[in-house]
Amino acid sequence: MIVSLKDGFKLIGISIMACCAVCVCNMFLNFQIDLRSVANQVEAGPAQALYDAFVSTSIVCCACCGGCMLITSVVMLFFYIKHYIDSHSREIGILKAHGYSNFRISRGFAIFAISILVGCLAGYLLSFAIMPLFYEKQNDNNLLPHIPMNIHWYMIVLLIIVPTVVFAFIAIGYSVIKLNQPTINLLKGITKQKDKYTDGKDKKNFVSEMRSSVLKSRKTLVFFMILSSFCFSSMIQMSASMDELASDMMGIMILIIGIVLAFTTFYIALTTVIHANQKNIAMMRVFGYSAMECKRSVLDCYRIPAYIGFAIGTAYQFGLLKVMVTVVFADVEGVPDYHFDWPMFFITLVAFIVIYEGAMFIYGYLMKKIPLKQIMDE
Amino acid sequence: MIEIKNITKYYGKGESRFKALDDVSMNIKDGEFLVILGASGSGKSTFLNVISGLETLDDGEVIYNEEHLEKMNEKELTKFRRDNVAFIFQQYYLLPHLNVEKNVKMGADLGDKDYLKYIEAVGLHDKRKKHPSELSGGEQQRVAIARALSKKPRVLFLDEPTGALDEKTGRSVLDYIIKLQEKEKFTMIMVTHNANIAETADRTIKMNSGKIVDIYDNLNKKSAYEIGW
Ligand SMILES: Nc1ncnc2c1ncn2[C@@H]1O[C@H](COP(=O)(O)OP(=O)(O)OP(=O)(O)O)[C@@H](O)[C@H]1O
Ligand SMILES: [Mg+2]
Repeated sequence: MIVSLKDGFKLIGISIMACCAVCVCNMFLNFQIDLRSVANQVEAGPAQALYDAFVSTSIVCCACCGGCMLITSVVMLFFYIKHYIDSHSREIGILKAHGYSNFRISRGFAIFAISILVGCLAGYLLSFAIMPLFYEKQNDNNLLPHIPMNIHWYMIVLLIIVPTVVFAFIAIGYSVIKLNQPTINLLKGITKQKDKYTDGKDKKNFVSEMRSSVLKSRKTLVFFMILSSFCFSSMIQMSASMDELASDMMGIMILIIGIVLAFTTFYIALTTVIHANQKNIAMMRVFGYSAMECKRSVLDCYRIPAYIGFAIGTAYQFGLLKVMVTVVFADVEGVPDYHFDWPMFFITLVAFIVIYEGAMFIYGYLMKKIPLKQIMDE
Repeated sequence: MIEIKNITKYYGKGESRFKALDDVSMNIKDGEFLVILGASGSGKSTFLNVISGLETLDDGEVIYNEEHLEKMNEKELTKFRRDNVAFIFQQYYLLPHLNVEKNVKMGADLGDKDYLKYIEAVGLHDKRKKHPSELSGGEQQRVAIARALSKKPRVLFLDEPTGALDEKTGRSVLDYIIKLQEKEKFTMIMVTHNANIAETADRTIKMNSGKIVDIYDNLNKKSAYEIGW
C-alpha cells in the first residue's frame, strides 16, 4: 500500500496535540465524575458553591482545551494528507492509471489515525501520572470532603477508541475528495495553483520570485505560522495575568497548552515547507546559490505572518482579560483592575524573537547539509 | 584547464558496492568542446557529476586552474559552482511551480540578467508564461538549456541535451549552443548517445564500465547542420 505505517508515525505533531488534549480532558472529566460521587457529602454554604464552581469549570476547561486542540489536529490532518498527496502525486497517478479506485487508494490513509491512537494513549497514561497532584491541589483548603481517585474504564472508549476511529474516517473521506482529480494531472504533478503572470519584464530577482511563489503555494502554512505565534504570545502573556485573576493551576495549564500548540505548529510549518521545497533548494544549491539565499527564498516569507500572529495574540489576550474583568467579574469585589502588562509583553517579545530567528538560523544552516545528488534523484 | 587525476567513485556499501568510475585520468583544456560517448550505465553521468563537484569522489583529484575540488567544503563548492559552472541535466530538473521565465531567471540572476534573448533563442518566447507541467519533454529540455546558458558559465556540463528533441529542433538548439560556445569560449563537456554529435566537437572520449577506453581528437569539425542525426 502506498501509505505505510512509518508515514503514520511521522505525524508526530498530531500525536503531541492529541496527547495534551486527552491528558487535560481525562484529568478534568475524571475529577468531575469522582467529584459527583461525593455530591451528597458536600455541606451547604461555601462548600456547595465551590462544588458547583468545580463542576462547571471542569466542563469548560475540558471543552476549551479539547475543542481547541481537536480543531487544530483536524486541520493538521487535512494539511498532512494534502501535502502527502501533493508530494506523492506521481505514485498515486500511476496507481489510478492502472485502475485503482479513489476509495481503494484512500483506504490506506486510515493509517494516519495511528498518530491519534499513539497520542491519545500517551495522554491517557500521562493524565494518571499527574492526577494525584491535581486532586490534591484542587482541594487543598479541605472545604470539600476527600475525593477518592477512581479509574473509569469507559474513558478509554471515549478518549482513545472514538477519536481514533473518527480520525480514520475523516482521513479516508478527505483523501477521497482530494484524489478526485484527473489522473493525468496527478501523473504530471499539475497543481491548480498558478502564479499570476505580469506582462513585460518584472524587476524582481529570482530569490524574491521564489519567495512569493513558495508563499502562494502553501497558504495553510501561513495559517499555521500565524496560529503558532498567536498561541505563543497570547497564552504566555495570559498565563502571567491569570495568576492574579484565577488560580495558578489555570495559569500553568494555559502556559503549557500555549507552548505545546505554538511549538508543534511552528515545527510542522517549517519542516513541511522545507520538505516540500527540498528539490528546489537542491537545484538552487547546484546552481551555486548559497544556503542563506535558499533560506531566504523558502523561509523568509513567513516572517511577516509570524509577527502579525504575535501582534494579534497580544491584542486578543488583552481584550479577553479586559472583558473578563469589566464584564464577568464586575460585581465581584477585590478583583484588581486589569492593565496592559508591559514588562511581560517585552519579555514575551524578546523570547519570541530569539526563538523565531534562532530557529530560522538553524534551518538555514541545515540547508547547507542537504545531499544534492541524492535529493535530485529521489 | 581541468586536470583529472586517477578519480574513483563507488556507489553503495558492502556487498553491493559498485565501482562506477575506475581510476580515470585526463586533462580538459579551457575553451574545449569535449564529447563523452558510451553505453548506458557506463558511468558518463557519474563522471560529469564528479568533475563538476556535484558528487564527492572516493579517490583522486580534480583541479580547476590550481583549485582542488576534492579539498573544498560544501560552502566553497557552492561558491565554485556559482562562479564557474552550469548544468543541463538528463532529467531537466526544472522548478515545477515557477513558469518558464522564472525558471530561466534562476540561472540569469547569477549571470546575464537579460534572459529573454535566451528564451527566444531556444524558441520558447510564446511559451514563456507556461509552467513546466504544461510543456512537452523537449520544451522542458530547452528551458533547462536556456537556464544554463543564461548563467554565462566558464564550464558548461550537458547530459544528453538533445535526447528529447526531434531532428529539426535538436539541430537548431545544438547549433545555437555550439555557436555560443565558440563566441564566448567557455569549456563544454557533453554526454550524448548520438555518435554523430562527436563530429562537431574538438575531442571525444568513449567510456565503458567506468573507464575511458578511447580518446581521439577531431581534426575536421563540422557544424550541427552538416552531421548525420
Ligand atoms: N546513486 C546511485 N547508487 C548506486 N548506483 C548508481 C547510482 N547512480 C548510478 N549508479 C550506477 O552507476 C553506473 C553508472 O551510472 P551513470 O548514471 O553514470 O550511467 P550513464 O553512463 O550516464 O548511463 P545513461 O546513458 O543510461 O545515462 C550504473 O551502473 C548505475 O547503475
Ligand atoms: Mg546518464
